[in-house]
Amino acid sequence: MLSIINLKFLNSAQSFILFFLLILLLLVLIVSFSLGSYSFPVLSILMGNTSAIEATIFTEIRVPRVILAAIVGASLSVSGACLQGLFRNPLADPGLIGVSAGAALGASTIIVFGSSLTSAFIFSTFLLPLSACLGSGLVILMLFLLTRGFGHQGVTYMLLVGIAVNAIASVGIGILTFISSDSELRSLTFWTMGSFGGITWSLLIPALIIIFISFLFLLPILRNLDILQLGESEAKRLGVNVKSLKYRIIFASAASVGASVSLSGMIGFVGLVVPHLLRLLSGVNHTYVVIGSALLGSSLMVFADLLSRLLIQPAELPVGLITSAIGSPFFLWLIFRINKI
Amino acid sequence: MSIYSKDIALFYDEKEILKDISIEIREGKITTLLGPNGAGKSSFLNIISGDLDFYNGEVLYNQRNLKEINIQEKAFLRSVMAQSQPIVFDFSVKEIVEMGWLEKGNIKYSDNFKTALNEVLIECDIDYLKNRKFNTLSGGEQRRVHFARSLLQLWRESNSVDPCYLMLDEPTSNLDLFHQIKMMNAIKKLSTEGIGIFMILHDLNLAFKYSDYIAILKNGKIISFGEPKSIINDDVLSSAFGVKIQVNKKDDNIFINYV
Repeated sequence: MLSIINLKFLNSAQSFILFFLLILLLLVLIVSFSLGSYSFPVLSILMGNTSAIEATIFTEIRVPRVILAAIVGASLSVSGACLQGLFRNPLADPGLIGVSAGAALGASTIIVFGSSLTSAFIFSTFLLPLSACLGSGLVILMLFLLTRGFGHQGVTYMLLVGIAVNAIASVGIGILTFISSDSELRSLTFWTMGSFGGITWSLLIPALIIIFISFLFLLPILRNLDILQLGESEAKRLGVNVKSLKYRIIFASAASVGASVSLSGMIGFVGLVVPHLLRLLSGVNHTYVVIGSALLGSSLMVFADLLSRLLIQPAELPVGLITSAIGSPFFLWLIFRINKI
Repeated sequence: MSIYSKDIALFYDEKEILKDISIEIREGKITTLLGPNGAGKSSFLNIISGDLDFYNGEVLYNQRNLKEINIQEKAFLRSVMAQSQPIVFDFSVKEIVEMGWLEKGNIKYSDNFKTALNEVLIECDIDYLKNRKFNTLSGGEQRRVHFARSLLQLWRESNSVDPCYLMLDEPTSNLDLFHQIKMMNAIKKLSTEGIGIFMILHDLNLAFKYSDYIAILKNGKIISFGEPKSIINDDVLSSAFGVKIQVNKKDDNIFINYV
């Protein structure tokens, strides 16, 4: 699998950071598997010294939840990094430019109307992620058309389009909220704040597959994403098929953001902040930034979920609140930094 | 081996930008295009480099129609140094140069990546800049980095006979005198190694000193084409640029005076 990633252009500091982030992710996963409203000592799980009920809690509730947090963090961060590269714009983020909102609208539509449509439908577990992917895909397509193929239109223009798209999506979600029943309303509210609770393997596996495939789709083009930074015509002169590069990123981001938002709801700022943290650490080439975003994004999200479970026990803080609380000041700082340049 | 443009015409918004241009860019020679602003020089470069494809006429690369050569293969045949766009993210100089290294299908060269990179960094006098951030460099330094990148794209083992071409749009703009001369010497050296050079210049003295062939473009038409000595005279230059120009020839050297 490593052959589809070009590691030649990673310097030694970047390789070291990626290795360190991998270790960090493993540690955070172990801690997060064991801590929570019910604590499992890591060793006793490995040794099999657990009762049947403990084992069920662990494999059916704790593990899928932590894995969901990890893949959502990875997919938001990776698509943030790729969209920033594609737009050649450091402020692109699935949340800010409306991609997450589109996914939430798609998912909400299924929550409210889906039950009457698909009760006996075989693929009903796939319908939610698919509809979310469709929503995020439509938003990216709309951005693509409005910015004339992601041409270099300036930061402000794209953010304004993002605000408009966000507004349109929230109108849609508002209408759905208004016509929803009580139980549907409960599920809808959960999109706006984000949570990893209530996940089951049957919902997790399809999303896992979608996200895994979209990552495989992205890995071979990271080098081309670097070359795109020279400008579109320059990239073409260097033999990059710019059109296919754009479609790959659009498709993969829409699919992975759609799949994760359909399960976790809207979680802001991760896709914006994580790639920038990596750039601050060591360099801007996309092989490093994107792979690093997957690792750091999942670590941070697993950690944020751990906080959400631990801070106000036995209740839970919505994880979207935590990431926004950390991310929004960072976003402000970023705007000031960019303005200075 | 050459690039041959045959009756190239270009219309843009019903305006005729280029009229029936036929010139040949030969391997191992420097062909320079001169002309006033708006004459269509960059449009012509974009056509023969394969960036623009809505022209009339034919461009032949070693007898093959340019429109039938795919984008990856084109990257091996020619490298272009045009006016560059700003780069948003903070790449290092070394990373920008490395972007010129073509991977796909270039396996026989990939062992030589480090050698090739060091060669072009030294050739373009930017070795001491390689760890700097590209965006902190001056305009002239950035030109040299892009030049190095174009050279890396064309890098071949010394015994290679694959034909290739380098196209440059005002390569010396923003450069100080020392680096102008250094870059022109580097370009001359490439041509003696067999690379075909096509460039757009504004500096007449540099053009007549270094070129093997010169074409003068005015209002979308070639008004003069040939070896520097045979085409150079006061009247042609004066009418092309709308300035009174006096040519002094001394021994083998040509000096241009504006009067």
